[in-house]
Amino acid sequence: MDIADILLKCRNGDREAWNMLINAYSKSVYNIALNFFAERDIASDVTQEIFIKLYHNLEKYREEKSFTSWIFAISRNYCIDYWRKNKKYMANSQELDENISSGQPTPEETLSRESEIEVLRKRISQLDPDLRLILILRDIHDLSYQEIADRFSIPEGTVKSRINRARLKLAEAYMREGS
Amino acid sequence: MTRKCREIEALLSAYLENELSREEAAIVAEHLGECPICLAKKEKMEEIIFRLPDLQEDVPFFLKNRLYNIPEIVEKKAAARLLYFPKWLAAAVGTIILFFNLFYFTNIFPPANREVHSFVSSVEKLVVKTGGWFEKIKESKELLFFTFFNKKSVEIKETGKNQEAINANGFDKGGKNG
Repeated sequence: MDIADILLKCRNGDREAWNMLINAYSKSVYNIALNFFAERDIASDVTQEIFIKLYHNLEKYREEKSFTSWIFAISRNYCIDYWRKNKKYMANSQELDENISSGQPTPEETLSRESEIEVLRKRISQLDPDLRLILILRDIHDLSYQEIADRFSIPEGTVKSRINRARLKLAEAYMREGS
Repeated sequence: MTRKCREIEALLSAYLENELSREEAAIVAEHLGECPICLAKKEKMEEIIFRLPDLQEDVPFFLKNRLYNIPEIVEKKAAARLLYFPKWLAAAVGTIILFFNLFYFTNIFPPANREVHSFVSSVEKLVVKTGGWFEKIKESKELLFFTFFNKKSVEIKETGKNQEAINANGFDKGGKNG
């Protein structure tokens, strides 16, 4: 079924069409939020809020723009707004995490792949919001530079330099920590 | 960190993704052979790029259920909004009632007491007046209905009588003619 048909059915209150939309897009939205905030609870709440916003604004979607770009724009704006509103609290929690992770890790932690992933996620969540989002789209969602440039409405060269900066910052953070 | 290191750093991602020209790649490779810090950064970046796709996760089951139920949640919220009585309005109404009773039943502040009493008496007058209006309206309504139905019944009765009279006359005439 075409996305236009699904959206039309959603607007008419078709629950099956709504479920199809959730199945198609919830993973991308959830992973953007999860890697942006590095907190599962926040990511779940943010994902839910994004889809509520989407549900309210289904009528506003224009077909000239791709639906993926539109849903990404909603997700990006919501993540950045949420981050701005809760910056103070998040900065505190990240400082706390920093203190915990700077301690000597247990051998199990060192070996555990899951904890490595969590550390990497925390490191990403400490980058600037724009660098974070661009890195998530490029290296986690595997989007091309051109696609990212279109979604952010910035030149491709800027995307490349930001990705390089984000990767460098991550590498430097790991090197400072000595892991 | 030298100026050369900064120049090379800016090219590291492009180098790792094979997007540099042969000459540029050779310059980067040469520098990496000489500078252990830049080499360490390049290796760390490679490792991070390799690990990043693992950060994708499936949506938790509970969240998916919540997402499926969004249309229901939104409808319930809309219905609840209709019944919502704002707290500030409740507080304002409560305060007004409290002060009204305080000034009406006690004489702690005589001018306010007088004002409240005069207000109450004006309200009472208004109620009496409106009561009178209501009664008048009710009466006029009843009168209207009464007249309408009465008129109708009178009309029906009259038309009935007329018909009877016509019939009677016709018979009479017919009788006379015949």
